[in-house]
Amino acid sequence: MFACIYVPDFAVQAAMRNEPGNLDKQPVAILEGPESLRKVVAVNAAARLRGIEIGMSKLQAEVCPGIVLRKRSIPQEETAQAALLDCGCRFSPRVESTSPGIVLVDLSGTKRLLGTFEEIGCNLTASAKNCGLFVRIGIASNPDTALHAARGCGGISVVPSGKEAAFLSPLPIETLQPRAEILDLLDSWGIRSFGSLAALPRISLVERLGQEGLLLQCLAQGEIQRELVLTDAPLSFEETLELEEPLDLLEPLAFILNRLLEQITARLQARALGTDRIRVALELEVSPDRQLEDAGQGTQRKLFHRELKLPLPTQDYKLLLKLLQLDLAAHPPDAPVKKVTVTAEPAELRFTQSGLFMALAPEPGELEIALARLRAVVGENDSAGRPRVGSPVVLDSHSPDGFQVLPFKSIDQNSTSKLLPPVPLALRVFRPPLPARVVTEQQVPVEVVFRGMKARVATAAGPWRGNGDWWNAKTEWGREQWELMLDGEVISGLYRFFREIRSSEWFVEGMYD
Amino acid sequence: MAPSGIAPIDSVTGGIPKGALTQVCSPRWNSSGKTALLLSLVAQTTNQGEFCALVDAGDCFDPLSAEAAGISLSHLLWVRCSQRGSVPALEQAFKAADILMQNGGFGLVAVDLGNQEERLVRKIPLTTWFRFSRVIEKMPTALVFLAPDAYAHSCSALTLHLASIRPRWDRIASVSHGRLLDGMDFEAEITRARLKKPVASAKPKFTARAEWLG
Repeated sequence: MFACIYVPDFAVQAAMRNEPGNLDKQPVAILEGPESLRKVVAVNAAARLRGIEIGMSKLQAEVCPGIVLRKRSIPQEETAQAALLDCGCRFSPRVESTSPGIVLVDLSGTKRLLGTFEEIGCNLTASAKNCGLFVRIGIASNPDTALHAARGCGGISVVPSGKEAAFLSPLPIETLQPRAEILDLLDSWGIRSFGSLAALPRISLVERLGQEGLLLQCLAQGEIQRELVLTDAPLSFEETLELEEPLDLLEPLAFILNRLLEQITARLQARALGTDRIRVALELEVSPDRQLEDAGQGTQRKLFHRELKLPLPTQDYKLLLKLLQLDLAAHPPDAPVKKVTVTAEPAELRFTQSGLFMALAPEPGELEIALARLRAVVGENDSAGRPRVGSPVVLDSHSPDGFQVLPFKSIDQNSTSKLLPPVPLALRVFRPPLPARVVTEQQVPVEVVFRGMKARVATAAGPWRGNGDWWNAKTEWGREQWELMLDGEVISGLYRFFREIRSSEWFVEGMYD
Repeated sequence: MAPSGIAPIDSVTGGIPKGALTQVCSPRWNSSGKTALLLSLVAQTTNQGEFCALVDAGDCFDPLSAEAAGISLSHLLWVRCSQRGSVPALEQAFKAADILMQNGGFGLVAVDLGNQEERLVRKIPLTTWFRFSRVIEKMPTALVFLAPDAYAHSCSALTLHLASIRPRWDRIASVSHGRLLDGMDFEAEITRARLKKPVASAKPKFTARAEWLG
C-alpha cells in the first residue's frame, strides 16, 4: 500500500506556515513578477470564495477586503517540501518527492507496526500539522491512485484494494491534470469524470488521443503499478521567513524565531534527531543615507550571523529560543531585520541512564541557559581574550599566570576518587599585577609601598630568577621573584613580588593565603 | 555536611553545612588561609564527583594552586567578575551567584569577595543575605562566602574567622635571604555555628604546605 500526502494550495501554505498567528480563514494570495506587474499565482480557498483568481493583478486582488498578499518565495517552498518529506520519513524510509506539495510513502509491511491505514492517515495529518501544513491523505494499493484519491477527496481517503476504479469513478476529470487541449476535447465529448473516461472503449480512445489517452484511462481505472523514485536528498533543516516590514526590536523577532525553531524541532522529531548547533542568519536592511532612502533610492542589505553550540543534541525549541534570545541580547544586530534564516545541524540524540547514587550535576539544558546568562552579566572575554566563564586549565608552560578557560560541561565527566594532597598554600593573584615601589638594602627588599600602603619587610626570600619565550620578542619574559613577609598597619602577610629584568620595575603578583 | 578537608576544622564544626550559608572571614590585605580553606573544600567536593561553582569577584583565583590542591578543574565552573562599564564587580558577583542558585545542580557554590573593599561589601543589605540563606535551605548545596568580615550576621549557619600565625621557612644557605617557603600556620575561630555548637575556646590550627612551589 502507498500513502500520498497532498498539500492543497501548496504555494500559499508554504508562504504562510512560518507566520505567527492563525491565518487559515483569511483570504491569502501569492504574487509573483516584477514590482510593477505583480500577478496572483496562487490563492487559498477563502480567497477563491471571495472571487480572487489566478492571473489577477495586484491592484485587482487588493480590492478584496482583508486579503493578505505575500510575495512568492521559492526557498520557503523548498523548505515546506523538505518538511513534508520529513513527515513521510517518520512512517517509512521509502518516500518519493513527487512534485511540490506531493509526497508518496511506501507503507508496505508497516501495518503491524503503525496500526490500521486510517490510523496511519490520522497520524500523517497530525505530523504534517506539527510542521505547519494542512494536508489531505490518500491511501491505495498503487501510488497514482493514492495521489488521485488525495487530490480529489478531502481528509483521509483509504481506497479498498481491488476497488480502485469504483472509488475513483465520481472524481472530476480535472483531478488527472491532463493537458488543456485534451481536457477541452474530453469536455466537448461530455467526459467529465474518472468513471466516464474509464468506460470509453480503449482502441477507439487510442485512435483519437494516442498513448496519452491510454495513460489517462489507465490512471482513471487505478490500474497503473509503478515503483517509487526514492528521494536521497541530503538532510537539511533550514527555515526561512522574509518579512514584509523590517523589524528593529528583539521582542517581535523572538516570536519569529520561536515559530521557525518550532518548525525545525518538529522536523527533527520526525527523523528522531536532535541538534547541537544552530545558526541564525539575519538579513539586515541598511540605509546608507536617510535622505537617499526618502528620495526613493534603494537600500543596501547585509548579513548578520550568529551560531550556537550545545554540549549535547536537543529537540527542545524553548531551550534553543532562550539561548538565541540571550545571545542576540548580548550581540544585537545593528540594523532592522528583513529576513530570518535558522539552520539546525542534525545530530543523533543521546540518552543517559541516571542512577540513584550518582553525584549531583547541573541539568545540561538549563546549564547552557545559565552559562549564557552568566556571560551576559560578566562579559565574554577578558583583555587577554580568555573566556570569563568556564573551566580553568593550567597550560604546560612556566610563563606567569599560564592558564586557559575552556567551556564548562556537566556531561561526559568521569571522575574517580583519588587521594588528595595535604592542604596546600594558595596564592591569591592580582590581575593585572600591582605596581609597587620597593626599597632595597644590599639588593634585599626592606620596605614596600603599593596601593598607597606602606609595609616593612620582616622576612625576605629570594631572588628566584626565571625567564622564558626568549625566542619571541613579543612574549619574552624575565623576572626576579621574591617572597616577602610584610608587617604593616594595613598589610600583613606573605606576598609574592617580582622585578622585571628589562624595566627593573617592581610588581606585586599575589598574596599567599 | 561537606568535609572541608582540614581535619582540625572538621572535628570542631563537623564540616561545611549543605543547604546553608557559610562565611569565611579575614581582612583583605592579610594572609589568613581563607583561600587554602576554599581550595581544600573544592578539592573535597570535586573528588566526590560533584560540581562546584566559584564566583570570583576579584578575579584572583590561581588555577596552578587549585591543581596543586587536587581539584578536578573540569568539575569547576569559574566565573570571573571585573568592573565592566558601570556595573561593579561586586554587583556582578551577586547576580552570578543568583543565577547559579536558580540553576542548581552544584555541590558547592563559593563566592569570593575577599578582594572587595570592605565599605562596599558592608553596604549589601541584610535582605540580600537573608534571601540567599532562604533559597539555599532547600538545596543540597553548600553556599560559602569569602568576605573581609561577617556581614551576613544571623543568616549564616557557620562563620569562621581566620588569621595567620607565622610562615615556615627552610633555610638553605648562609645568606639571610636564602630561604625556601615551606608553608604557613593558620588559626580559625568559630564565631557562629548553628548546626553544631563548638567548644567556645576551640581555635583549630592548621598548616598549609608550599611543596608545590618548589
